[in-house]
Amino acid sequence: MLIKIKHLYQRAGFGATPAQWRQMKGQGFDSALEQLFVEAKQAPPLTVISFEETVEATMADRRKAGRLLTQQYVLEWLDRMADPTESALLERLTLFWHDHFACRSLFGHLAIQQLNTLREHALGSFRDLCLAVAKDPSMIRYLNNQQNKKNSPNENFARELLELFTIGRGHYTEQDIKEAARAFTGWGSTYKGKYRFRAREHDYGQKTFLGQSGRFNGEDIIRIILDKRESAEFLVRKFWNYYVSAPENEAIIQDLTTVYFESDYNTEVLLRTMFGADWFYEERFRGGQIKSPVVLVAGLRRSLGITFGQPQAQLRLLRALGQVLFDPPNVAGWPGGRHWIDNATLMLRLNIGAGLLSKREIDLRFRDMPELEIVSDPKTRRLEATLDLAPIQEMTTGTDLAADWENLAEYLLPGSSRLELDRLSALVDDTTGDERLRRLLLVLFSMPEFQTC
Amino acid sequence: MKRRTFLKNTGLASAAMWAPSFLQSIPNRTNGKILIVVQLSGGNDGLNTIVPYRNDKYYELRPDIAIKENEVLRVSDELGFNPAMGDVQALFDEGYVSILNNVGYPNPNRSHFRSMDIWQTASDSNEYLTTGWLGRYLDSQCAGCDSPHAALEFGQGLSLALKGHEKQGFAINDLQQMERTSKNPLLRYLGQQDQHSHEHEEAAYLYKTLLETQESTNYLLEQSSGRRTRANFPATRFGKDLRQVVELILAGNNSKIYYVSLGGFDTHANQNGPQGRLLSIYAEGMKALADELSKHGLWQDTLVMTFSEFGRRVAQNGSRGTDHGAASNLYLMGGNLKRAGFYNNGPNLTDLDKGDLKYELDFRQVYANVLNNWLDAERTDILGGRFADLGII
Repeated sequence: MLIKIKHLYQRAGFGATPAQWRQMKGQGFDSALEQLFVEAKQAPPLTVISFEETVEATMADRRKAGRLLTQQYVLEWLDRMADPTESALLERLTLFWHDHFACRSLFGHLAIQQLNTLREHALGSFRDLCLAVAKDPSMIRYLNNQQNKKNSPNENFARELLELFTIGRGHYTEQDIKEAARAFTGWGSTYKGKYRFRAREHDYGQKTFLGQSGRFNGEDIIRIILDKRESAEFLVRKFWNYYVSAPENEAIIQDLTTVYFESDYNTEVLLRTMFGADWFYEERFRGGQIKSPVVLVAGLRRSLGITFGQPQAQLRLLRALGQVLFDPPNVAGWPGGRHWIDNATLMLRLNIGAGLLSKREIDLRFRDMPELEIVSDPKTRRLEATLDLAPIQEMTTGTDLAADWENLAEYLLPGSSRLELDRLSALVDDTTGDERLRRLLLVLFSMPEFQTC
Repeated sequence: MKRRTFLKNTGLASAAMWAPSFLQSIPNRTNGKILIVVQLSGGNDGLNTIVPYRNDKYYELRPDIAIKENEVLRVSDELGFNPAMGDVQALFDEGYVSILNNVGYPNPNRSHFRSMDIWQTASDSNEYLTTGWLGRYLDSQCAGCDSPHAALEFGQGLSLALKGHEKQGFAINDLQQMERTSKNPLLRYLGQQDQHSHEHEEAAYLYKTLLETQESTNYLLEQSSGRRTRANFPATRFGKDLRQVVELILAGNNSKIYYVSLGGFDTHANQNGPQGRLLSIYAEGMKALADELSKHGLWQDTLVMTFSEFGRRVAQNGSRGTDHGAASNLYLMGGNLKRAGFYNNGPNLTDLDKGDLKYELDFRQVYANVLNNWLDAERTDILGGRFADLGII
C-alpha cells in the first residue's frame, strides 16, 4: 500500500513531505487519492498584481520590466509547488498544461493571466480550457493571431491548434488549416491583456472544415475538432507520456480514450481513472521517469524544507538544467525524458544535494545569457539555502545505520538501493546527529536513482 | 525494467569489458578530418561584416551605421571586410576562406530562439525537431565516433545541434571545475557500480552517462595538459575556448567535431562599436587557430564553419542599431577548400522581403556539403536528402 501511495505522490505531485510520508503509513489508498483531489479544488489562484501596479507600467524599459515580473511569477509558482499546504496535484497538472500549450510569455502581466487560466480549467473540461487558451493574450501574441486578419490570414495558431494542441498530424489537410485560420480572424487582445474580438477583421464567410460547412468562427472550429475521438486519443497519449512515461500500451490507451471522450473531455474523470487503476502502479512503471528540472527542484524543497538565501538562484539552476518556465524551447514544449540529460546537466543534478547539504559551492555563472541580466546580483550565482531537517531526522534512529539507510532510501528513491553497508559506513564515518543525517542524505541525493521517480 | 540477463552475465565480466571502448582502440579518426563550428549568437549583422561598399542603397538605408567606403578592407569590386576583420582578410588572401552570401531558409523566423533551433536541427521553419543535425550524424554515420566526446562543445550545456536520438556531444564549461566533480569520491564510487544491475532502464542510462562523463573528463584533462600552445589567442572566453580546441587537437585528441560560440551580436542600439569589438575577437581567434594548426600541418585537415541564426534588417533602426533580419552570410575556412573566395554574388538590396535579405542558398545545402564531403556521411539520412551539394568542400 505504501509503495502505491508513494508512487501516486511522485507522479501526481512532487513526492511526499516527511510529514505526509509519516501520515501515509496509516492511511488507506482511497483516502490518499481523494485527498489529492480535495486539495486541488481548494487551491486559490495565484496573486495577480493589477496592470497599473506592475513595475511594468512604471518602468521605462518595458521589456525588461515585463521579464522581471514574469520571473516573480515563476518564483511564486515554484513556491506553490514546494508548499506542503498547497495542492501538488493541481500544480503538477498545471505544469502539464503549460507544457502542452507551450507558450513563450515575456510580459509578466500576461504570463500570470495565462497561468491562472490553465489552473482554473486544469481539472475541468478540456473544451473550456482549449477555448480559454485560444482567447488568451499570451497565446494570441505567441502564435500571431494578433496578425490574423480577414484580408491577410495568419495560419500559425490554427496550424498548432490542430497539430500540437488537439488532434495531431494525419487527421487534417493544409486546406483545413487555411479554413480554420479564417475562422479565428479578428481574435485579438489588448496590450493590457484583455481578449478583444475585432469584428471588422473577422471573416464571416462560409468555411469547409473537416468535412463540415458553415459560417464557422473559432468556437465552432474547436467544437468540431473535439467532436472527433482522435482528439481525445491524441490528448490521452500526452497524459500517458507525462504521468506514466513508458512505451504506450495500446489497449490501455484505447480504454482511456473512451473514458476521456465519453466524459466529454472531463480531465478529472480521466485522472481519477488513471490514478485509480492497478496497472498505474505496476513495478515496470515505477522509477521509469526522469524528473524534469522543475519536478526535481520542487521535490527537493518538499523533502528538505528549503529556504533559499536568494530565491532567484532557482531561476539560474533551472536554466542550467534546461527548463525555463514561460520560455519553452518552442511551441512543441519540452521534449523531456532523456532529453533532459547530457554530461553537464547530469553532473549538476548529482551535485545539487552537495550544494544544499555541505559547503560545496554550486557554480551558476553563465557565459552568455542576456535574459539573466536582470538577476545579475552575484549572490544569485550561489545556491545558498537553509534547511529544515528536523522532520526528516525523525525517520531515523541515529544509531542503526542499516535501518536508517533503508528508511531514508525508501522515502527518497523509487525502488530499493544497493549500496554496500561497508562503503556507507565509511562515508558516514563516526559522525552523529545532524552531520550524520546530512552525510546519509548526501549519498542519497548523489545517486542517479534519485533523478527518477 | 529489470535486466536479469545482464546480472547473470556479470560474473563473466572482465576488466576489459568495463574499460571504455575508446581507450581500447587506437584513437581512430577515420580520415583525420576535423570540423569546428563557430556559432555567432544573437544574429550577426552580415551586411556590416562583409560590406557591399559600392552599393548606394546600402549607404542610403544605413546613413549612420554604414561602414565608410574608405574604411572597408576591399577584396572584390563589390565587397570588402569590416575593418575589424583584418585577420580574416589575411586568411582570405591565402585562399583559406570561402564566403557564401544570402544564406537562409524559406519563411524565415525572426526570433533568436526559434531561428537558432531551425539552424541547429536543420528543420523547416514550421517543423519542430528534438535532435540536432550533428547529433543525428553521431547517431548513424560517424565512423570511429565511439567515444562520448566525439563532438565537444564549449559552454555550460549542450546545444540542440549536438543532441541525437542515441548519442550526443559532450559539453565542457570549465575543465578545472569538471576535474573537481569528477574526482568527487562518492560520484566516482557510484560511477563504478554495475550499470546493468539497476532496477530500471532510466537509472541504468543515468549510470552509464555518469561513467562515460567521468572517463571522458579524465581523458580530456590528460589530453589538455599534454600540449600547451603559445599562440596568440584573444584574452576572452572565446579565445580561451579556441586555445583549448587547438591544444586538444595538437595532443591527438580523438574528437571529430568542436563547437564553440561567441555571443553578443544582438545589436539593436549603437551597434558599430560593440560589433567591431566582437568581430576583431572572432578574426584574431580564427587567425591564431589557422596559424597554429598550419604550423603543425593540421590546417589541411580542418574545416571551420561560422554561422549566425539570422542577419539583420537592411535599414538601420532609430537607435543606430539594426533589428532582427533574415538571410545573411556564412564563412567556411580551412586549408583544403575546393572553392575559396566568394561563392556567389553579394546581396540584392533592392529586392527585399519585409526589409530583409532574401535567401538564395539554403543553409542545409551547406550542411549537406559538409556531411557528404568532409564527414563522409550519407546526408540523405541526416537531412532527408533534399539538398543539393554546393561543391565547396
